Amino acid sequence: MNKKRGKITGIIKYIVVAGVGVIMIVPFFWLVSASLMTLNEFISVPPKWIPANPQWHNYVDVFHHVPFLRYYLNSFIVAISVTALVLLTSAMGGYAFAKLNFFGKKALFRFTLSTMMFPAFLFLIPNFYLVTLFGWTSNYLSLIMPFAVSAYGIFLLRQFIMGIPPDLIDAAKIDGASQFAIFTKIIIPLTKPALATLAILTFIGQWNSFLWPLIITSFSPEMTTVPVGLSKLSLAFSTYTNQNLILAGMVLQIIPVVALFLYMQRYYIKGIVLTGFGGI
Amino acid sequence: MGRERRDGRQMSKNRLRENVAAYIFLSPILLFFAVFFAFAVGFSVWISFKQWNMLISPIDAPSIGFDNYSSLFSDPLFTASLFNTIVYAFTTTVAILVLSLLIAAALNNIKNAAIWRFIYFAPSITPAVAVGMIWGYLYNPSRGIVNEVLGWLGVPAHNWLTDPRYALMAIIITAVWAGMGASILIFTAGLKAIPQSYYDAAKIDGASRIKMFWAITLPLLKPTILFLLITGMIGAWQVFDLIYMMGANAPASSVQVISLYIYNTAFVNLQMGRASAAAMILFVIVLIITLFILRIFRQGGIESYE
Repeated sequence: MNKKRGKITGIIKYIVVAGVGVIMIVPFFWLVSASLMTLNEFISVPPKWIPANPQWHNYVDVFHHVPFLRYYLNSFIVAISVTALVLLTSAMGGYAFAKLNFFGKKALFRFTLSTMMFPAFLFLIPNFYLVTLFGWTSNYLSLIMPFAVSAYGIFLLRQFIMGIPPDLIDAAKIDGASQFAIFTKIIIPLTKPALATLAILTFIGQWNSFLWPLIITSFSPEMTTVPVGLSKLSLAFSTYTNQNLILAGMVLQIIPVVALFLYMQRYYIKGIVLTGFGGI
Repeated sequence: MGRERRDGRQMSKNRLRENVAAYIFLSPILLFFAVFFAFAVGFSVWISFKQWNMLISPIDAPSIGFDNYSSLFSDPLFTASLFNTIVYAFTTTVAILVLSLLIAAALNNIKNAAIWRFIYFAPSITPAVAVGMIWGYLYNPSRGIVNEVLGWLGVPAHNWLTDPRYALMAIIITAVWAGMGASILIFTAGLKAIPQSYYDAAKIDGASRIKMFWAITLPLLKPTILFLLITGMIGAWQVFDLIYMMGANAPASSVQVISLYIYNTAFVNLQMGRASAAAMILFVIVLIITLFILRIFRQGGIESYE
């Protein structure tokens, strides 16, 4: 009887998992399907599920109708620059907090952690004021610099570097290695898994980032990133006649992050489990 | 004795060197925090007592004391935003928590769990803007598949995103859809950490599955739940992208949240002081909620959250 009950709970489990799973997947299925429709199919009532003839040229047309290549390039420049800076500053900070003894270490570390408690909205106005003051509003620095340091990244790398055996560092010190040499020749190579985790979290977070680019690019539209560009088209819904092309753009927006995720899944999941944030 | 002194000098020299090295490594971070954190927070507080439109120097902007704060609470749109944020944050966080625990438990020891986990997780890596756009189309009253599918089940069509009665709820459903994946992963890790021997022992004592869930699983998942509650609340209180994309066609008072109120006040109306005051209020509320959740859990036997 117990076995039978186990079987029934097994079936219920599967129904729950598959049932909710369908709800999870249908919007994506619809997105890809609709991105291949003609405009008439897309706006038909009742809605069509599958295009009669997949319109693959939608994916080419989107580049002609909006400066999509420019959006793409902007997004890549910003996301890659921020990722590089965050990796560098986090590794440097993480090493100092993990392996060096210095005056004020405990207080500075607590301070670093406490900065994570402050909501991003508190920084919109002052950061906007600052990038204007520095004369950055019309170049990429305005999109990059406010995100160059991540308290979370410092914390993640500090935890990881603490696990590196002190013997390795001591041996290098006896050989007369400088702190810089220890950092570049021992710490960085051994920290690669944590750096990969942080890289993918930062890249995806920046690729998907919306609010700050929305504010900055309203003053300098030439730096428009993919999410901002598509949102503007989408919200101009009634006036824009190529809505099906927006969907092709959306698929192109999602592809890099899904590809990156599938390629580096292991590291990404580690980061999620450690922090609970889908992005930073 | 001479040698000792030399050793001592050598040591303090080493210590000095280590201090210098540490501060060199930390210098970019400290510079960043000085500018983009310490100055920024101070600036926010300062501006929140001023009437500033960003077109003049903030120093020349007139100080108006607590007027920004008091006028916020007499603005019906702000109080509506506050109310909507509370509804959104609590409903989303709790729904995600319950559903993802349920699904994580169901995914435990199921075949092809990795594939299912990817399916559940896909919305989490999708840009929130794209999620909002996709669901905006899905909720379309005449051409969207939500009404179509509900029609098969005999549910009448609704104007999901324009009807003030349904708009916020529709957005919350999307937020839960988009946010479950990460929580499922974290719960999965939490469930895997519970030793099987606990369940075996309980089985010998004749405990039912439900009893085991309440007596073993839930108490041992407390740190995970605490973590998800806090990070979920902090995130949900700041929701912007989804509301911006999906709430554009509903009456503002029915869907607007604090973050959108701050954005509009600052970058559409150019009322920087008022927006800063609203941001300070948001910060204090998030802080209070975090401390409150920590307190509840501490009373429940969690020593520290780290």
